Amino acid sequence: MGTEIKMVSVIRPSVGFHHPNSISLGARVARQCLNDADIDPGSLGLLINAGVYRYKNTGEPAIAALIQKKITDRDHIKNGRIDPPNTFSFDINNGGCGLLTGIEIIHGAIKNGDIACGMVVAGDAEPFFGLSENFNINSAAAAVLLDKSGDSKGFSLFRTYTFPGYSEELVSSSFYGKSRFLRKCRNRLNIMQKESFPDACVECSVKSLFSFLDELKISLNEIDLIIPSQNPLEFPQMLRKRLGMNGSLIELEKTGNMVFHTAGPAFALKKVWDDKRFHNSGNVIFLTIGSGINVSLTLYKN
Amino acid sequence: MEWKCQIESIGVKTPGRILTTSELIGKFRIPCIRKFGLLTGINERKICSAGEDSFSLAEDAAKNCLHHSKYHPEELDMIINCSITKYKGGLSHLYEPSFSALIGKSLGARKAITFDISNACAGMLTGVYIAEKYFRQGIIRTCMIVSGEYISNLCTHAIKKIRTPLSSELSSLTLGDYGAAAILERTSDEKKGLTVSGFATLSKYSSLCVGRQNRNSPGGVMKTKSKKIHQAAITESVPVVKEALQKCGMSFSEITWLIPHQTSRSSIISGANHYYDYFRERPEQVVITLKETGNTASTTHFLALYKYLEEKRFHENDNIMLLCMASGLVIGVVIFRMNDMVKRYGH
Repeated sequence: MGTEIKMVSVIRPSVGFHHPNSISLGARVARQCLNDADIDPGSLGLLINAGVYRYKNTGEPAIAALIQKKITDRDHIKNGRIDPPNTFSFDINNGGCGLLTGIEIIHGAIKNGDIACGMVVAGDAEPFFGLSENFNINSAAAAVLLDKSGDSKGFSLFRTYTFPGYSEELVSSSFYGKSRFLRKCRNRLNIMQKESFPDACVECSVKSLFSFLDELKISLNEIDLIIPSQNPLEFPQMLRKRLGMNGSLIELEKTGNMVFHTAGPAFALKKVWDDKRFHNSGNVIFLTIGSGINVSLTLYKN
Repeated sequence: MEWKCQIESIGVKTPGRILTTSELIGKFRIPCIRKFGLLTGINERKICSAGEDSFSLAEDAAKNCLHHSKYHPEELDMIINCSITKYKGGLSHLYEPSFSALIGKSLGARKAITFDISNACAGMLTGVYIAEKYFRQGIIRTCMIVSGEYISNLCTHAIKKIRTPLSSELSSLTLGDYGAAAILERTSDEKKGLTVSGFATLSKYSSLCVGRQNRNSPGGVMKTKSKKIHQAAITESVPVVKEALQKCGMSFSEITWLIPHQTSRSSIISGANHYYDYFRERPEQVVITLKETGNTASTTHFLALYKYLEEKRFHENDNIMLLCMASGLVIGVVIFRMNDMVKRYGH
């Protein structure tokens, strides 16, 4: 038994007065994904949130639990159900690799026969409006719904490669202090990314990708599509150049200096999902990269 | 073949300072709050001294765990950090990279897959839940679950804000800091393996306890409707416990040690009484360890295990039930039979 992607949905905040909120974005995209797939929220066995930049940096409960509440509340009103759904929710924090880590956990649970389907939500937004420095991340959220597949279709192998020597290339933390524009001290978020970070990401990705292909005993020519992380900004373009893959490595259109963080790979997936390239590709590789540096890879077969 | 996993070793890190309940209550001028120590059963809690934070507690607990273990850092296949607070360098919250990546680097666990999870006070048991899935598939042989909680800053905030005994921040006074870590290993012995059961999130109760970063001062703030969340947790956990016992083919009285989440003495006792009303039988012992540590969030279960191992209270083949109840509302059960780990502690 394998695991396949049943549906993918993405969302950007609508232009309005309100500051984007990662919980609302996550709940909206999760609801949209379930509606598009025509799946009852109560049937989700696992709901994992992989977003890093959370509304007001909420520590507890897990953001996934708050998303679960929002999607099941509305479902109860619609269907008049009062029984609590048998869903287990928690958050993952693994930088840009969070989405794939979440998928791997759900894949394992489906494969073990513990659950029938699960969903990973990845949403980021500025935790406190206006209280951050160098925050170049688009407010966005994505949901990937996973279901069991009867045949060999779907995810086959997951691998994570770690490069601890690069752990200081990207450090994102909040600290308490004054800024130029504020008279009082506040908890402010600061993302410090070294100039060498994109190069290090490409270096680690290429090394990991070829190790992964060696383990699979297939060559790069046999890969029809690579769906990579979209952060750092230059990463997909640099990786495409390095691998010499033109249209087969998916890159999103630029949004100025802003990037899609944990939801980035799902946005790239949505692009090829809608134009049918994903379904028409035999071997698809998901390649995510996150601070640490961690590189997660998986092969998806159609 | 489907593998099982067992706890191989446990380590903790005790923070450097002690804050007694009488010291804490002395800071209030409201007479009702003076009964706090009697109600919660907490005499003191350990809190971080200068230079200590969530990261240092987790890192030192991981080292202590390895000290009790037969494994070397390079033999760890996975490290999962499960703490709610991710303070590194005082009260500076680290978003990226993950704590587990930094702990892996510090230990020298070169090949370990690392990621952090967050699931309130159920964090470490959620880590066990996730690791068990990897063990069953045969992906990993060893996994370290680690957590460092620097939550006494919530208590500092509460002291400034509490004006009445009905304050939603009253629960913050029960909190203490601690670090805990455990190494899980693959086993083919069915009897010694962990049984993970009934993990569910009852999200309709998710607003009953919310902890966030404070916007205007260092650290965080937690607001709890303690009575409601306690009642919900007790009521909703009964079918979960029943299901877990059925899965193991055991009765409640066959459980030697029940280790619930350590919130307060009165709520643990009332919970145990509620279970008795339902099952008409009791576990041999209900573990309460918060007298000297307070509620240490995600680390409570492993801290209790470590304390009782060091005190030589456990015996090989004792049946132990870890019961988590956390904001979310997360309920889950882990049942296992104590292994030869007892021989390595308490000397």
